Amino acid sequence: MVDLSQIDKNQRALIKNISAQHGLKKRLQSLGLNVGQEVQVVETSLQKNTIKIALGFSSVALRLDEAKAVEVELAS
Amino acid sequence: MNKITIALVGQPNVGKSHLANAISGSNLKIGNFAGVTVEKATAKLRTEDYAIELIDLPGLYSLEDFSADEKVTKEFLVKGDYDLIVNVLDSTNLERNLMLTTELLELNKKIVLALNMDDEALKEGIAINAEAMSKILSVPCIRVSSKTKFNVETLVDTIITVHEKALAPSKLIYGSEVEDQLQTITRFLEDKHFHIEGLSYRQIAVGLLWQKREIYAIVHDHPLYVELQPILNNALGHVYMYCQCDEIDEVIHRQHAAFAKGLCTEVLSVSKIKAQSITQKIDAVLIHKFLGLPIFIFLMWALFQLTFTLGEIPMGWIEDGFGWLGETIGETIDNEALKSLIVDGIIAGVGSVLMFLPNIIILFLGIALLETTGYMSRAAFLLDGFFHKFGLHGKSFVPLVTGFGCSVPAYMAARTLKNKKDRLLTMFIIGFMSCGARLPVYVLFAGAFFEEDVAGNVLFAIYIFGAILGLIAAKILRVTAFKGEDEPFVMEMPKYRLPSLKLLWFMVYSKSVLYLKKAGTFILLASMLIWFISSYPKNDLIEEAYGAKIEALQATQETAATEQEASVASKEDSAQAQEATPNDGKVASAETDKEAPATEQEEAKEGTSVEDQIAALENEKHEKIMEQTYLGMAGKAVEPFFAPLGFDWKMGVATLSGLAAKEVIVSTLGVLYALGDEVNEEDASLRDIIKENISFASAMAFIVFVMVYLPCLAATAVFYKEAESIKHTVLLVLFTFATAWILAFITYRVLLLVS
Ligand SMILES: Nc1nc2c(ncn2[C@@H]2O[C@H](COP(=O)(O)OP(=O)(O)OP(=O)(O)O)[C@@H](O)[C@H]2O)c(=O)[nH]1
Ligand SMILES: [Mg+2]
Repeated sequence: MVDLSQIDKNQRALIKNISAQHGLKKRLQSLGLNVGQEVQVVETSLQKNTIKIALGFSSVALRLDEAKAVEVELAS
Repeated sequence: MNKITIALVGQPNVGKSHLANAISGSNLKIGNFAGVTVEKATAKLRTEDYAIELIDLPGLYSLEDFSADEKVTKEFLVKGDYDLIVNVLDSTNLERNLMLTTELLELNKKIVLALNMDDEALKEGIAINAEAMSKILSVPCIRVSSKTKFNVETLVDTIITVHEKALAPSKLIYGSEVEDQLQTITRFLEDKHFHIEGLSYRQIAVGLLWQKREIYAIVHDHPLYVELQPILNNALGHVYMYCQCDEIDEVIHRQHAAFAKGLCTEVLSVSKIKAQSITQKIDAVLIHKFLGLPIFIFLMWALFQLTFTLGEIPMGWIEDGFGWLGETIGETIDNEALKSLIVDGIIAGVGSVLMFLPNIIILFLGIALLETTGYMSRAAFLLDGFFHKFGLHGKSFVPLVTGFGCSVPAYMAARTLKNKKDRLLTMFIIGFMSCGARLPVYVLFAGAFFEEDVAGNVLFAIYIFGAILGLIAAKILRVTAFKGEDEPFVMEMPKYRLPSLKLLWFMVYSKSVLYLKKAGTFILLASMLIWFISSYPKNDLIEEAYGAKIEALQATQETAATEQEASVASKEDSAQAQEATPNDGKVASAETDKEAPATEQEEAKEGTSVEDQIAALENEKHEKIMEQTYLGMAGKAVEPFFAPLGFDWKMGVATLSGLAAKEVIVSTLGVLYALGDEVNEEDASLRDIIKENISFASAMAFIVFVMVYLPCLAATAVFYKEAESIKHTVLLVLFTFATAWILAFITYRVLLLVS
């Protein structure tokens, strides 16, 4: 099982599942992190506490803790 | 005249406020990050037949989960009085924006979709077939651009047409399995003729299947419910099975997502993928792992450097202008009291505040750039890890930066923090971010006590120091008063946008006008008040006593050499108090004992010039007279409180007057020193006077105190309103005062020791 916090910079991945409590899940979904969506980690902060991901037509910043809630599968 | 009330609803940062401005010519606040609008605002427009009222609401990602600002929108949508919704969408991010649209369509209100940012979409090769979209949804969809005003009139016309027509249900179509179940429920309702005012059968069915509370509340009390329940259970069972999911929220979300996706494939065509890449390229530098933070710090440093050095130039002109004005006007007025009121009260007070307008303008230009380019969320990204260590949230950055402008909007901006504790914590430390009104104090003192080429750095250091204190305070509060869970940090990063010059100009201009207005009204009144209570009651006895002494001195001027000793002696009799000579004015009361030997030496030296002695006596006279005035008495009363910090009573009074508004600190100092310093008035600037009268240690303690103590009363009132708690407001007052006092005390004592 791979989650968003583990994938390398610039690696493409598809979202498989979001396993977070209701509030966070809603927020992630409403920002466009839907199952099947392609994402890519484009930037990480110094200690990799915070990452910036690109998805569809927008970019979202989240902490590693939140990224752990997003299960992904590497895309070729 | 008919009235139409319109609710502008959409996801954050899609240009709702910009669109409202484009439609009505209003000046709502615009910025390139999520959460600019946090309170509903109204813009008005008149057409031939209608008075249109646009209600600009905070953006929200979905109708379900919300922070305090999103709640404003949700509440207005549910309870507010409006005729139709204009749903604003970002054409360059259609699919995600449609997620909110699907929820809005279920609200069963008249609705128009404004596909905003058409100019950007075209540039990015994104084409939306608005006609097809209107047909599919049965809702008018108009491509508009708030920036170029493309189609804005068409949008208004469409709004009026929709308003005039009866409500036509929109066509939101779900998956076939869900549609089947909806049909079953609808048929049952039709058979039983079950009506709910204003809703079609299908809408009731959707409400029931999606388990909407409002619908249940009505249906539940109806006898029909007994028969309805099994049908519903059955339908839900089917839906759950079909979706392989037994959470209704999740089912709804998937249905909406599928609809949005389906719609996009029909109406959206993308020919090139460009815009994202520009933003990504800039981000590769600006939020680079190693470069990001240094660049951020450099930019902040540059801003404060410019604020000081660039602001310095016009500041000199303004000060000279007011000096000239004071002299010229002073010469034409015979009445002493009136002359003093105008020259020492109004011109000195208001002038000392206006002098800092250039600095304020540069600072606000910096903040405007931060807000409009998109760098704001990058800074939040860069600082989140750091903030997190101190128990703060990355998103706290936005209210904190707003706090560099003014605390009032900053408290409101804290609404974007979802967690109440995060929000309160952020609000508590907003005061540590020195607001624009404190800038004059810093510029004045930095200019007075430091060389010109380092003063900009000092200014930067003051702000950084304040921010660091704020972080430490946050940590302390986090482990004591506001213990709590970490709030997740998820934030959209908008693309970079070049703000139009017009927008920048307006943002800075409106702030400057506000500052001028404040100077012309509030500061003016405060200066007059301070002048009055520091000029009255007049004390003739002191005047006469000193008058006699000075005359005596003048009489002996020729035989000065022999009589010196005597006059020094007599001077000591009459004034054992602290300020004996202008130079000794630096010595604050608490320090009189310590520095007494120095005083004597200086006097011995000065004894050589009778003129100096006369000047000293004059100064002393003014000092004495002022101490007998209302303000002087009040100042003496608060002096013990401030004495351990090295403040004389004037500084104490200025500090307290700053509670009304921080600019008043400077105007009060201006008035007090203008009144008390008539002797060496030969065009001494306020800066020089301050330098002459206040010791370095006291001045630094003063800066620290001003940096930390309570924001002005207006801000405190807003704090109370936003925090909705007396307890927290009292805590804020005590916390800021105690911290300010202790830190100023430490600063003063340490500086005394090392110097
Ligand atoms: N190019 C272009 N930019 C636009 C347009 N409309 C808005 N913007 C920009 O988009 C950003 C967001 O605009 P706002 O009006 O503040 O957005 P909002 O929807 O009110 O945002 P919140 O109040 O935070 O929900 C600003 O930088 C605007 O200048 C447009 O039609 N074209
Ligand atoms: Mg807005």
